[in-house]
Amino acid sequence: METRQQGQTMFTGILLLIGTVIIVQLWLVGASMDALLANETEILIPAAIISFLGLLMNAGLLYYIHDFDKRVRRSNPAR
Amino acid sequence: MPEVLKPDSLKILNNPSQEPQWREDFPIRWENDHYVTRRELAKFLTLGSAFLVIANVVMAFFGKFRGAEQYPRAFVANASAIPESGSMLFRYPTDRDPCILVRAKSGELRAYSQTCTHLSCAVVHRAQDGVLSCPCHMGLFSETEGRPVAGPPIRPLPRILLDQQGDQVFAIGVEV
Repeated sequence: METRQQGQTMFTGILLLIGTVIIVQLWLVGASMDALLANETEILIPAAIISFLGLLMNAGLLYYIHDFDKRVRRSNPAR
Repeated sequence: MPEVLKPDSLKILNNPSQEPQWREDFPIRWENDHYVTRRELAKFLTLGSAFLVIANVVMAFFGKFRGAEQYPRAFVANASAIPESGSMLFRYPTDRDPCILVRAKSGELRAYSQTCTHLSCAVVHRAQDGVLSCPCHMGLFSETEGRPVAGPPIRPLPRILLDQQGDQVFAIGVEV
């Protein structure tokens, strides 16, 4: 399999991962809003921390994509 | 002899190393378009992820630093005026907040917000079943705890804290 085809499959997987994390974050925002309106404030900070961990994961995946592109360009300058 | 202006494509034929002017406006080649779009989508999603974190942090901030609400002490009724399995409507803490005072089967006085936690219809006391009933979607709440026992509501009715001094019953706060 060529590098580009491998990359496409991998990026599809990475995009799915990022999308899944975002859906979890959206759910966290909804649940936090519900909790805030119900005065159940004890879950708000854990929700914010988990959401931040999701952002770190997404940022890590994005960094990996950029790093992968750099390596591909270095090994094949024509692209 | 006047100079004839040539189109960009002819310029390139004459000088293949020179890129046409339109290349500045459309820098991505057709074969790379799909390749770039995925990266842009990943960036966009990560940016959205950052906004969601900000929303969560703002809510956590509000939840942590929002001061406890102060409720007035307000006379509700004389306890002797509420018969067994009876109920009475009042408003607390403001005139726009309808509440219901009920005497449960056990004889205790309980008070709740009259606003159903499903879609804000007014609940009524069904003494024979020991419940507060929302007629809109048949939501039922326990008269002793205010928790939902049937129908679509999932959150309990806000409870009005009562203080009884002799025969007089006062509302002193709201427990959500």
